[in-house]
Amino acid sequence: MNDHSGKLLKIALIGNPNSGKSTVFNQLTGLRQKTGNFPGVTVDMKEGRLRFPSGFEATLIDLPGTYSLYPTSSDEKIVTTVLTNPQDDFYPDALVYVADATNLEKHLLLFTQLLDLDLPIVLALNMSDTAAEAGIKVNTTKLAERFSVPVVSISGRTGENIQKLLHELEKLLKTGGASIPPFYPLRDSEKQVSDAVQLNLSVDNPYRALLLAHHHSWLPFLPKQERETLAAIVQTKNFQSLKAQVDETLDRFDRFTPIVRQTILQPSVEPATFTDRIDAFLTHRWFGPLIFFGVMLLVFMAIFFGYDITGGWVENGTSAIVDIIGNSLPDNWFASLLTKGVLPGLQGVLVFVPQIALLFLLITILEEVGYMARAVFIFDKTMRRFGMNGRSIVALIGGGACAVPAIMGTRTISNWKERLITVMVTPFISCSARIPVYLVLIPVALPASSWWTKALIFGGMYFFGLTAALGAAFVFKKILRTSDPSYLALELPVYRMPHWKNVWLTVWEKVKAFIGGAGKIILYISIALWILGNSGPSGALENAENNVRSTAAADISQDSLNDMIAAKRLEASFAGIIGKTIEPAILPLGYDWKIGIALLSSFAAREVFNGTMYTIYSLESVAEIEESEAQNQRPFERYGRLRQQMASDTFDNGQHVYTLATGISLLIFYALAMQCMSTLAVVRRETGSWKWPVFQFLFMSGLAYLCAWLAYTFLPKV
Amino acid sequence: MQRRYRTIPDLKLNESALTLAFTDPALAGKLTAMGVLPGARIELVRPAPFGKAYYIKVDGVRLALREEEAASILLEI
Ligand SMILES: Nc1nc2c(ncn2[C@@H]2O[C@H](COP(=O)(O)OP(=O)(O)OP(=O)(O)O)[C@@H](O)[C@H]2O)c(=O)[nH]1
Repeated sequence: MNDHSGKLLKIALIGNPNSGKSTVFNQLTGLRQKTGNFPGVTVDMKEGRLRFPSGFEATLIDLPGTYSLYPTSSDEKIVTTVLTNPQDDFYPDALVYVADATNLEKHLLLFTQLLDLDLPIVLALNMSDTAAEAGIKVNTTKLAERFSVPVVSISGRTGENIQKLLHELEKLLKTGGASIPPFYPLRDSEKQVSDAVQLNLSVDNPYRALLLAHHHSWLPFLPKQERETLAAIVQTKNFQSLKAQVDETLDRFDRFTPIVRQTILQPSVEPATFTDRIDAFLTHRWFGPLIFFGVMLLVFMAIFFGYDITGGWVENGTSAIVDIIGNSLPDNWFASLLTKGVLPGLQGVLVFVPQIALLFLLITILEEVGYMARAVFIFDKTMRRFGMNGRSIVALIGGGACAVPAIMGTRTISNWKERLITVMVTPFISCSARIPVYLVLIPVALPASSWWTKALIFGGMYFFGLTAALGAAFVFKKILRTSDPSYLALELPVYRMPHWKNVWLTVWEKVKAFIGGAGKIILYISIALWILGNSGPSGALENAENNVRSTAAADISQDSLNDMIAAKRLEASFAGIIGKTIEPAILPLGYDWKIGIALLSSFAAREVFNGTMYTIYSLESVAEIEESEAQNQRPFERYGRLRQQMASDTFDNGQHVYTLATGISLLIFYALAMQCMSTLAVVRRETGSWKWPVFQFLFMSGLAYLCAWLAYTFLPKV
Repeated sequence: MQRRYRTIPDLKLNESALTLAFTDPALAGKLTAMGVLPGARIELVRPAPFGKAYYIKVDGVRLALREEEAASILLEI
């Protein structure tokens, strides 16, 4: 359906946190949705396509959950910003208000505020399945009469009445909704302010005018002049915003509570529920924290051992494909670009797609069942000690998969300082992009050690990242100042079985965004690398090749000769020149110019490391090294081809490049350095300036350099 | 003089009391929006494992509140 200017009509889903909005969104849009969670797409909300039974289409927007139009955190502020500005790109033509039918008395405050904004609105009473089980009966007809809006009883879980909801919505869009008197008549003091705002700013809706006065200090769309006018009005009328908010809220509750009581039949006794019994353990003084650490350990083990199953076949499969393509193509520059540039690079990303999917899956399940809120409750005090908020724990856990969505999730933290610290330290948590880097480097550093030692060091890397995050947070806590209020005040939702459709959609969406983002970066970088590795100052590559040919011993095998030629060509190429130029800067950390190239390209995204190493070593070495451990590979035995090449590599003086010292130094560098453009872009977006991402880049990478240097200096070079 | 009210930290486990008023306007705005209203019955379920926060129930809704947040709610004796 289109508006007058021919654009698709916009419908927004809105409701309190945990009302089941996202579930309803998934029901309505299925796979026809996209998120702006990743750089390049500057959208703050989920958007999807809605198809009405009659064939009309409209855009559906999922607004963040909030309790009222008086927000405290930045995701709640989005809702007020959008709904008080008819010029906003997301300003909806109609609203679907999702309320939890099992707890309607607490879910209608925001609804009545929206009524007063005069937006066409359908009231969707969600969770009808649970309500029916609990014996709750709602008289929707009467409710619709009392509020003068269409009311539909739905279930996001079973899909009940979703079609009916669409039908009512379509009807509403056609008629525009009934014009009704304000639900909450403004008090005298509010009316004076509202009148003045309406007059001075030509605002047509009295409640919207009042909201502008309440929020004039922060609403982002207000031009300076209007902001000053509003400030002057608030000042001259001596308007007490906070007191007015509370009075309004209480008055609204007083008005709608009787309506709810008259239209709902609720069984009076509340049984000791399932949720209470579970929480007796999960938030128990001793068991609570123990279970939390147990769960985290399980997640960690699932990633690690899951790799046993998936990593092998992804790597073998992709290697096989690269070989097949390589053998079937004619020997020209294009085949070389494909098999020695692009494909090895992409292989570096693909190997950990199962890992990131598994991590997103486990985290989504923890969120979906309602466990994350308990973790927030348990660790609020701990997190505050480090200058953060209990909610930061969600970001820190999520950072184990990928820092980008984790940082976006910090919007629920209302205190600027707590949020900023969380944003700054979350990238220290070892994300899934570091897994393959660790898996290559640990056996390089400790080739002779037992499998268990390696596994322990792998776990140690996560611990190291967490320690760095908390340590940095503690330092920031001492430095930063803010007068923002800080809240915990969090609803602990009832435990529910995960709704699998929600879970799959969330995981699918995140993995897709991840592959899209990382894949693109890797593609560009591997092409750039191939070009840089295959070209040089005029004649330099040919000179290098001729030098090798003329000085090589007569009895050398063809394969070795080719190897030497390739190595010398790479060294003479632009890539080699760049690597050699930065070598003095990284030599103190124990890295040669080849690692330098990988390091440089890793600043785009750390997962590029393996891909770059593959690319560099396959540029260098034409001869295939036998893959001796093709079968029965445990995690640390993978990337065999790459590791063998790395292990045999030497500095010009014949000393091995990869020693214990270099290996550990590299591990530390990759654990600490800020090597992810996507993260920097999202930090810039969430903090609103380049100041913080630049600072973050410098302090993380500086710390990485320092620690890597210490490790290299003090560890034995064997 | 005897206090005419108490707060959540004064409650025993599983004890409940009616809400009278709030001491902090900003917190009051937040709490009322979440459904903690004067006249609502608040039950203390348990303190947080490491302290400094409380798990409470208000008319069947479960909430986690910090010590300061909990202390800003005045309850009847
Ligand atoms: N039984 C039942 N559960 C539902 C229904 N709709 C949603 N849920 C569950 O309620 C929980 C919260 O649902 P979400 O869709 O994540 O809620 P939300 O309102 O988007 O929550 P926020 O993301 O916090 O704003 C999930 O566990 C859902 O599976 C329903 O109709 N019936």
